[in-house]
Amino acid sequence: MKRVWMKGVFVVCGLLAWGNIAQATASIEEARLENGLRVLLMEAHDVPMVVMRLTLPAGSRFDPERKGGSASLLAGMLSDHTAKHDYRAWADMLDAEAIRLGAGADRESLNLSLTVLKEAMDTGVAAFAEAALQPGWSKKRFEIMRSDSISAEKKSLEQPGTQAAMLAASLLFSGHPYGHRTGGDVESLSRIRLQDLKNLYHNQFRPEGSILAVSGDVTMQELLTVLKPAFGNWKGSPKLALKDINMPAVVAGRSLHKDMPTRQALVQLLRLGPARHDDDFFAAMLMNHILGGGGFSSRLMTEVREKRGLVYGVYSYFVPLTVPGPFAITLQTRADQADHATEVVRDVLRDMVSSGISARELDAAKANLSGSFAHRMDSNAKRVGLMSMVGFYGLPLDYLQTWPEKIQAASLADVQRQVQAYLNPEQWNQIRIGPAKTQ
Amino acid sequence: MRYRFLVLIFVSLGLAAPVTAAEVKQKQFSNGIKLIVQEDHAAPVAMVQVWLKVGGRDELPGKTGLAHVFEHMMFKGSKKLAAGEYSNRIAAMGGNDNAFTSHDYTAYFETVPSARVDEVLSMEAERFGHLALKDEDFQKEIRVIMEERRMRTDDNPNSRMFEELSAAALRLHPYRNPVIGWMQDLEKLTIHDVRAFYKTHYVPANATVVVVGDVDFKHVQKVVAHTFGKLKKRKVEPRFNPVEPEPLGAKRVTVELTARLPMLAVTIPVPVWHPGDNDREAASLAVATHILAGGRSAILNRSIVDEQRKAFSVSAGYDPFSMGLDLWFAYGMLGPKQQADVFEQALWKSIRKLEKDGPSKAILAAAKRNMIADQVFAQDSLYLRAKQIGSMETVGIGADQMEVWLTAIRGVSAADVQQVLKRWIRPERSTTGLLKPKNDSGGA
Repeated sequence: MKRVWMKGVFVVCGLLAWGNIAQATASIEEARLENGLRVLLMEAHDVPMVVMRLTLPAGSRFDPERKGGSASLLAGMLSDHTAKHDYRAWADMLDAEAIRLGAGADRESLNLSLTVLKEAMDTGVAAFAEAALQPGWSKKRFEIMRSDSISAEKKSLEQPGTQAAMLAASLLFSGHPYGHRTGGDVESLSRIRLQDLKNLYHNQFRPEGSILAVSGDVTMQELLTVLKPAFGNWKGSPKLALKDINMPAVVAGRSLHKDMPTRQALVQLLRLGPARHDDDFFAAMLMNHILGGGGFSSRLMTEVREKRGLVYGVYSYFVPLTVPGPFAITLQTRADQADHATEVVRDVLRDMVSSGISARELDAAKANLSGSFAHRMDSNAKRVGLMSMVGFYGLPLDYLQTWPEKIQAASLADVQRQVQAYLNPEQWNQIRIGPAKTQ
Repeated sequence: MRYRFLVLIFVSLGLAAPVTAAEVKQKQFSNGIKLIVQEDHAAPVAMVQVWLKVGGRDELPGKTGLAHVFEHMMFKGSKKLAAGEYSNRIAAMGGNDNAFTSHDYTAYFETVPSARVDEVLSMEAERFGHLALKDEDFQKEIRVIMEERRMRTDDNPNSRMFEELSAAALRLHPYRNPVIGWMQDLEKLTIHDVRAFYKTHYVPANATVVVVGDVDFKHVQKVVAHTFGKLKKRKVEPRFNPVEPEPLGAKRVTVELTARLPMLAVTIPVPVWHPGDNDREAASLAVATHILAGGRSAILNRSIVDEQRKAFSVSAGYDPFSMGLDLWFAYGMLGPKQQADVFEQALWKSIRKLEKDGPSKAILAAAKRNMIADQVFAQDSLYLRAKQIGSMETVGIGADQMEVWLTAIRGVSAADVQQVLKRWIRPERSTTGLLKPKNDSGGA
């Protein structure tokens, strides 16, 4: 119940977790099982533990129509019990060996993760494979998990952030596979049947196109010795590949409001952002860093918080996906100052478009991003996250090592082009969650 | 990455082999500043943290929130650096910085390339000794903090309910006040309060510098001697640490707020760990809480959520590493058809059952193994390692006591678990809070 209060929020979003990387790193070792599963490893022998994550193209964009939340529920089911162990026996077995098994989904991927002591690695990997490849499909557990998910979704509607995410998805991606929250909502969860999860699993849960990223106290040889028997019999390719998705339609100048009897209003400006494979990805990242991705040094933070004291936090981020994902600027402030704060944000956008950014500003952003390289990869969990991204999106294996060079290589003109491409205020949409305006 | 050899970790369970054998090196300077270093040469990075023996608990009546306000003001300029320049310089090094405040402590931290540690220590010492504290900066920052309170507490029914619950549970202990401060106090704070707070608490003898990462202890020692070590020695008063009177019976509070679903929480004052004094008792409380709510097989989740279906989520927690006392808690999130009173009965029934039957051998062993494994997994993060060292030192336990704690955990018996539940986790010592959804327009 004790809470710690901070000067600023740690922002961990898709962009930061998967966008910013580190230096002076060991290289990634790669192996491929006969069934097509790619295995990526970074060895780190300082702590006797191993972390791994299996990432598959089975995220919420693959949810059946009107059944948002299927991928998340599937992830929950896979880690809850198996064909060989009911949920009680399964939990007892994992806890006996301190085997931490996790599962989750985001827009594009479903993942299973394992954190295990080195001494329990063999048992841990066997359990990990059992969860992945021998689903139990207990009808009773499905009903319980779905019902609890519905309650949790309902509870989360108390948070303005949840309401904003729902509104944002429907505004930017109406009719598109990115157009709903990963966890679904009360109605969509109610429509999901166990068979939907079985179908999703059958279609998408395949070794081809999947990535197993590993970091920790293990060598590739040791790893393959346990992986081959555990995953060797798994076969096939997913029905839909990552690239099988339409471009979302451009939406501009729209405005939506949702009433909530809160003290603050949450305002979010939204548009489509860069995709994962864009040629100008690094220039776009620098542009966002200067705008509102770079914490206290960013323009938004300087103008809205530091100079005017209007907010605790104001951030910008884009989520780089297979096709353009959301690019958002978000703030929360006392409802009666929300218009003022939003105007300051729009002024920042206008100013960046009309006056551009300075060489000094760009150098500072480059220094921060490339200098922070090492500590963005300083734990097993972080390394596994980055390798999963590299593997899942088919980026070259030296992507992490060459990351700082690519940041340094972006020119002022490159970044200015990104400013022109993305920051014109006319192209942004706006959502507002909070009390109805009285003035 | 293959040549990490300084952090040697053993995980044998039966024997009392150390889990964290990375040496914690310490040095006390004549002005009272303490330095603690844990070297780890795995990657060219370091975590620098400056810990202060001051937090929400040290605030005077009417000044709640001041410790946290002060923390924000540390970024508002010093003799040598303009407001905001501190963070800009850290960013330019390829680092990031932040700070946090709890009831017991305040800490400032930077993650930086290890080659820049000297510079960071020098900057930290400079702002520590020569903060600007201008009224115009305060006037803006206090508004930022009010927005922080609105965002995290006022517009969050669960947080609001826990705030009320803590206030109702304790009579004189300062843990009854929120670290963010009551809005009514925030509105009255002035720059004079901030300056007085600085003078009283930002004294070398209240500070511990923690560095974990790719550094050399001897070198860091020299740098700290030339920076923090030069600050003038000043007297510090012992910290206010009152004894909360024993509860005289069950208490209850209802919090009516706009919300979708109810929540019921129970909190109970329990002892924290005083090394050498109550090792077995505190460790037993920690193990008992883990058995109730810690792992995948946790008893409360299994019985109340999975089997009886009286809540959709249940949790419990105990922090043995704070000062004076801890507010042990358990809560349940209730779905549309789940009743608060029914959940409450189920919660106490589960606790009493564990007290009566005791944990099985397997459950007890699994709890201990997971608690020790957590300690190994925490070694993976420089931030968590430094935080553990800094917090344990600052609350008075000592930076090097983790092994003693784990030894106590290993020694807990089934009877110990039964005993602490019987002694401490009792309805007549508890305060129960209900978040009761109130329907008004908008229906958040």
